[in-house]
Amino acid sequence: MTTRFSIFASSPTPQLGPFEQQLLRELWSRGSATVREMVDGTGIRQAYTTVMTTMDRLYKKGLLDRIAEGRAFRYTPRLTSEELQRGVAMDGIRQLLGSNDTSALPLSYLVEALSAHDAQLLDELQILIERKRRELKANGTPEPAQEARSEFRGEFRGKERR
Amino acid sequence: MFALREIAVSLTFFVLSYCLFSALAAVSWRSLRWLHAAEQSVADLLFALRVLPLVASILITAAFVIPSFQILEPRSADEGMGTVTFTLGVVALLLIAYGSYRVTAAQVRTSRIVARWLEGASSLETGSPTATLRSRKETPPLTLIGMRAPRVLISESAVAVLGEDELRIALKHELAHIRSCDNLKKLVFRFAPFPGLSKLDSAWSQAAELAADDAAVSSVNDALDLAAALVKLSRLVPVEAAPACTVGFVTGSIRARIARLLAWDEGSQTRQRRIPKWLAIPPVTLLALCAFVTYGPALAVTHELTEWLVR
Repeated sequence: MTTRFSIFASSPTPQLGPFEQQLLRELWSRGSATVREMVDGTGIRQAYTTVMTTMDRLYKKGLLDRIAEGRAFRYTPRLTSEELQRGVAMDGIRQLLGSNDTSALPLSYLVEALSAHDAQLLDELQILIERKRRELKANGTPEPAQEARSEFRGEFRGKERR
Repeated sequence: MFALREIAVSLTFFVLSYCLFSALAAVSWRSLRWLHAAEQSVADLLFALRVLPLVASILITAAFVIPSFQILEPRSADEGMGTVTFTLGVVALLLIAYGSYRVTAAQVRTSRIVARWLEGASSLETGSPTATLRSRKETPPLTLIGMRAPRVLISESAVAVLGEDELRIALKHELAHIRSCDNLKKLVFRFAPFPGLSKLDSAWSQAAELAADDAAVSSVNDALDLAAALVKLSRLVPVEAAPACTVGFVTGSIRARIARLLAWDEGSQTRQRRIPKWLAIPPVTLLALCAFVTYGPALAVTHELTEWLVR
């Protein structure tokens, strides 16, 4: 686990603390907000100045846009939740592929993890198909038409399989 | 100088209209999903939208820009080419060269890889109207190769794991790709690159797979056989990426395709609206008629624009 964290620590995607993430989630759900609206209109239990400083930090990290509204700023997220997650994932993969000393090692872990995930997914899909087949059989759905099968006549199996 | 200026102006118009139409296609293709049409219609519309920038810019250049220059530009005029026109002309040439390179590279790579797959391949009698070849077990399980004379390549491993009905339905799926000329369409996409259009290409690819699934399946049993074939062949897919001018059976979102096949029923098929291709005739005719009626003024406007560009 330590290794994994050290790999992602130098990611070009800004690192976010829990409060920053909470503010971003609120902004994604509201679309845009001023600091006052965040303090009064949400479940955030932090001082006005804390929220203001954190939102300013998010703006400086390039995650929020802001426009002046009276004496305050109205903040808007620059990225959607999906775009941010995609960026983090892409950075992580880029880091994995770009690490110099043991580049083959993390890549092989990644391939192994993906293969295991794929195999599990395929097993689940296979089970679903079998279940559906059993349901059809139980409901008495007829087998495919003989004419359709005769297109192939079953010859290739006998000829080609050893 | 006159001819050079004509070529530069034509290329400039071509590249400007190509970029404009491509940008429009890149932002508008998602709205096609709102149609809730049959997947074949969605795939056709996505393809039409994808090639529209290229076709429209060629048509505009050939039908308006070149004639307006030929007819309305005084041959004695001693005008320069203009920096903008020259630069955009060069950009257009680079774009055409890049498109041609992508097509050639894709064909060369495909030929090389397919030649490797075909080593030791033998004909397989399946009763299918398309030539089917059995290839070594390391090759991709089921692939459609070729454009003029398409063939289906089935690996030994695929033949071994698929049941009779599963193979029959998988071949019907590939036949649907042959009827839609999907290999050729993929090559056309490579000739017309533009930033942001790769997502449209992916959407077309997924729609083409779903359309081929729909064309292959005509009963619940067919749907289950196709889903089972997808699962079995997904386990055999090699790590190596398939070349551009081939269509692999295991392509697109397997989970989405299988979910669709498991939910298949005849009602869902009849509910899907297939947009008839003849519906394109009235707007195209209307457009041609408008162009015919306003051809003279349109040439004058085009010439004004070319003059503005050259200055």
